[in-house]
Amino acid sequence: MRLDRLFTLAFFLGPALLIVITFFFLPLLLTVYTSFTNMRNWNVDAYLFDIVGLYNYKVLVHFAKYDPMFRNALITTVVFVAVTLVVNVLGGLTLAILTFFLEERISIHYRLLWLLPRMTPVAVYSLLWYYFFHSDAIGTLNRILLLAGVIDKPINWGSYMLPLGTWWILIFVNGLVGVSFGMIVFYSAIRSIPWEYIAAARVDGASNLVIIRRIIVPMIRWHLLFVTVWQMLSLLTTYTHIFLLYEWGVVDRTWGQTWSLLVFNLAFLPVGELRQGLAAAAATVLVVIGAILGLVTLRILGFQRMITRPRGDI
Amino acid sequence: MGFQTNRTTIYIAAAVILIAIIAAALYIATRQAPETVETETETAAETTPATKTEAQMVELKPLTGNVREDIVNIARYLSANGVTEAKYRVHGSGDPNSIMRVYGIVEAAARLNKILEEEGVNFKIVIEDIKFSANADEPAKVFQQSFPLKQEADIIAVSYRWISTFAKEGYLLDITDYANAYMGSELEDYYDSLWSSVTYKGRIYALPQDTEARPLYILKPVMECLGYDAWDIAAKIDSGEYTWKDVMRIAKEAVDKGCSEWGVIHRKGSAHPDLVQFYYAFGGEFTGSDPDKLYLNLEALYKWLAVEYALARNGLTPENMLEWDWAKQIHPTIVSAKTAFDIGGTWYWTEWQTKKYYTDPQTGEQRGLTPEEVKERFAYSLFPAGEPGKSPVTLSQPFVWMISANAGKLNPKYDDLKEAYHRIAFLLILKANDPDLVAIHSIVSAHIPIREKAALLMDDQEFVGKLAQGNLDMFVSDEAREAFVEIAKKTAHPINIEFLKNVTYMLEYTHIPPLHPSYQPLAEFFKDAVDFVLKGQMTPEEATNYVVQKIRADPELAETIEIVGSIPSGWQISP
Repeated sequence: MRLDRLFTLAFFLGPALLIVITFFFLPLLLTVYTSFTNMRNWNVDAYLFDIVGLYNYKVLVHFAKYDPMFRNALITTVVFVAVTLVVNVLGGLTLAILTFFLEERISIHYRLLWLLPRMTPVAVYSLLWYYFFHSDAIGTLNRILLLAGVIDKPINWGSYMLPLGTWWILIFVNGLVGVSFGMIVFYSAIRSIPWEYIAAARVDGASNLVIIRRIIVPMIRWHLLFVTVWQMLSLLTTYTHIFLLYEWGVVDRTWGQTWSLLVFNLAFLPVGELRQGLAAAAATVLVVIGAILGLVTLRILGFQRMITRPRGDI
Repeated sequence: MGFQTNRTTIYIAAAVILIAIIAAALYIATRQAPETVETETETAAETTPATKTEAQMVELKPLTGNVREDIVNIARYLSANGVTEAKYRVHGSGDPNSIMRVYGIVEAAARLNKILEEEGVNFKIVIEDIKFSANADEPAKVFQQSFPLKQEADIIAVSYRWISTFAKEGYLLDITDYANAYMGSELEDYYDSLWSSVTYKGRIYALPQDTEARPLYILKPVMECLGYDAWDIAAKIDSGEYTWKDVMRIAKEAVDKGCSEWGVIHRKGSAHPDLVQFYYAFGGEFTGSDPDKLYLNLEALYKWLAVEYALARNGLTPENMLEWDWAKQIHPTIVSAKTAFDIGGTWYWTEWQTKKYYTDPQTGEQRGLTPEEVKERFAYSLFPAGEPGKSPVTLSQPFVWMISANAGKLNPKYDDLKEAYHRIAFLLILKANDPDLVAIHSIVSAHIPIREKAALLMDDQEFVGKLAQGNLDMFVSDEAREAFVEIAKKTAHPINIEFLKNVTYMLEYTHIPPLHPSYQPLAEFFKDAVDFVLKGQMTPEEATNYVVQKIRADPELAETIEIVGSIPSGWQISP
C-alpha cells in the first residue's frame, strides 16, 4: 500500500478507530480480563493482578446448578428479550404505518406522545408504574378495577400467576419505552419511499393493506433488520427500569431479574461485598451470547444479500 | 500530480498537528498534579524560612488522652512543617432529624479550632464538602466506589455493618491505638455493649455515633377497645410471661372484634434488621466456636418464618407487607391506630411528630402527631420472646464514625505527615461525640445516646429548656447552630426525653448482628424468605430450605456459613 494512501486512510478512519478502540474495544477487553481476576469492592490495588483463572466462571456454573433464582433469571431473560423484541419491532412498525397514513399535523403529536416514555427520567417513569401496578388499593390499576366493581380485593399484579404477572409488567413497561425507537426509524424510512410508488398503487386500486405488504415492508426491510438486531442487543443489556421495578417490589424477586440486572446486582447492589470479578464473568457470557445472537440474526435475515454492491453505474 | 502532492501534504500536516495536540494534552495532564504539589511545597518553604529548625524541634508526641494537649501538639507539629491548615470532607446519612451526623464534625472542628486559638497556635481545621444523604447506605456505597480513585470522604457516618467489608479491604483507618489512649478519659463512659459494633478481628475501626432499640409498639386505643391495659401487656412481654403466641392471640382478637384493621405491622425493604429479632427471640445466634465463621441456626430461622407465615395466613399482617409504601401505608396505618402492634424503631417516636403521617379526623388535614398524642397513643415493650423459656430481645445497629485509611489525603505533604492528619481525623470524631452533642442528636432524632454523660445531660432541665427554645449557645459553630435550631424547637420536648430514658434499658437486652462479610448476603436471603412466607409462596419449611439452598449455591458463602440444628418436626404456631 502506498504511503499517501495509508495516510489518507489513517486521516479518515483514525478518529473513528480511536473512539471504537477507546470506548468499545478496551472496555470489552477490560471486562474479559476482570472476569479472570478476584476483583471485589472496587479494590483495584489489591485485586487487579489477583488472577484466579476460570474461578468466576466456575462459580457461575455452580449458581446455575444449585440456585433456582439464577435459573429463573436465565428463563426470564429469554422470555423478556424475545417478547419485548416482537413488541418493539412490530409495535414500532404498526405505529410508523399508522402515523404515516395519518395527516401530518395529527401524526406529529401522536408520534411525540409515544416518545414521552423515552424522554421521561427513568426513576420518574418507573415510579409511575410502581404506583400503577401497586399490589394494594393505593395502586391505580387496583383502584380503577375496585371502583368499577371488576375485582373485590386488590390484586398483586407482580405475583399474579407467577411468573406471568412479573413478565407482563417487565415487557409492558420496557415495551412502551422501546417501541418509539422502531417507530422513529420506520417512519423516516417509509417517508423516504418515493411517493410515486404509493400513488401508482393507489391508482391501480391497491388497498392500504396491499400497499403495506407489497411496497412499504419490502422497501424498509433493511431498517427492519437494523431495528431488530439493535433492539435485541439493547434488550439483552437493559436493566434500568427493571432494576427499579425489582428493587421497589413491583415485580416478584424470584422472576423479576434478567441476566443484565444480575450482572448489575453482583457488581453494585449488595450491602457489603461487591464481586466485580464475578459480575465481569457474567457480563462476558452476556457479550458472547449477544454476539452470537446478533450474527445469527443477521444471517437469518439476509444481511449479506442486502449489502451486495448495487449493479448500476458508479 | 501537483494536486495529489498538495493533498498528501495537507493530510500529513493534519496528522502531525493532531498527534502534537494529543501529546501536549497528555503532557499537561500528567504534569499538572506534581507541579501543584511542588508549588505548594516551595511556597511553604519560602514563607517559613525557619521551619526546618522548628520542625526538628517540634516532634509528634504520642496521644495523651487529653484533647487540648494532643491537638496543640499535632497542630504545632504540622505548623512547624509549614502546614497551617488541614481540610477534611464528611458524608453522613439518615432520617432528616439526624443531621448531627455531619454537623457534629463541623462543630468538632470549631471546638478544636477554638482550643488552638486560645493556645495561640497558628493552625486551623477546615471542614469542606459536607454531604448529608437521606439514604442510609449512600455514603458507604459512595465511599466503597470512590476509595480506589482516592476521591472518598475522609470521615463518614454510616451503619456499623459496613465495617467488616471496609476493614477487610484496608479502606478504614485502624484507630485502636488512638482509642486506647482515650479509654481512660473521653471514651470511659461509652456503653460497653457498643464496642463490639466497632471492633473487627480484635481491632477498633470506628467510634459509635448513636444507637437505637427496636421496640414493639402497642396501640393503646386498640387495647382499650379490647378492655386491656397496654402497659400491663408491655410489662408481661418484658418479663417473658407473654411470648409471640400471646401477641398473636391479642392481635387476632383485635382484628376479629373490629378494634383494628391489622394485628401486626412491621418494616419493609431492608426489613431484616428488625425482623432478625425473631431469630434471636427463638434462641438463634450467629456466632460459634470458630470466630471466622457465621453460624445459622435452622430451628430459630424456621420458627421465625413460621410466625410470619401464621401472621399473614390469619390476616394479621398484610401478605404484601414488604411492598407497602412507607409514607402512604406503613406509618399512616400505625399512627391512625389501624394496627394492634407495630415492630419499629425508637426513632419512629419523633418521626411521627415531624412527618405528616396522621390525618386529623376533625379537619381532614395531614399533620404530625404532637408529643402528647404520641404518648397517649403508644405503649412499648421489648421484642417478645419466641416461646416460653426464651427471653425478650431487642436489636441495635449503631451508626458509627468511620475514618478513611487515606484521611486528610488532599492536604500538603500528606505522605510525610499522614500520621498527624490521621490523628486530627480521630480527634474530630472524638469531639463530635462530646456529651452535649450526643445528647442533642439523641433528643432531636430519638436515638439512644452512646455514653452515660450524654444520658445525664438529658436530665438537665436547663440544657433541655435551652434546646427547646432554640437557644443553642452550646454550639461554637454558627453553621451547626443554624442547622439545628428549627429541628430542636420541634422535638426537644420532655415527653420525648422521657421516652428515650424509658427505652434505654433495652440496651441490656440488645443484640448486634455480627460484623462478618457474609452476614449481608445472608440477611438478603432472610428478606426474600420472609416475603415468600408472607405471600404464601412458600411454607416456612420451604423458605428455610430456600435460605440453605442459596447459601450452598454460592461456594464462598458455603465455606463461611456453618449451618447448625435442623427444622423441628411438628412445631407449629397459631394465634
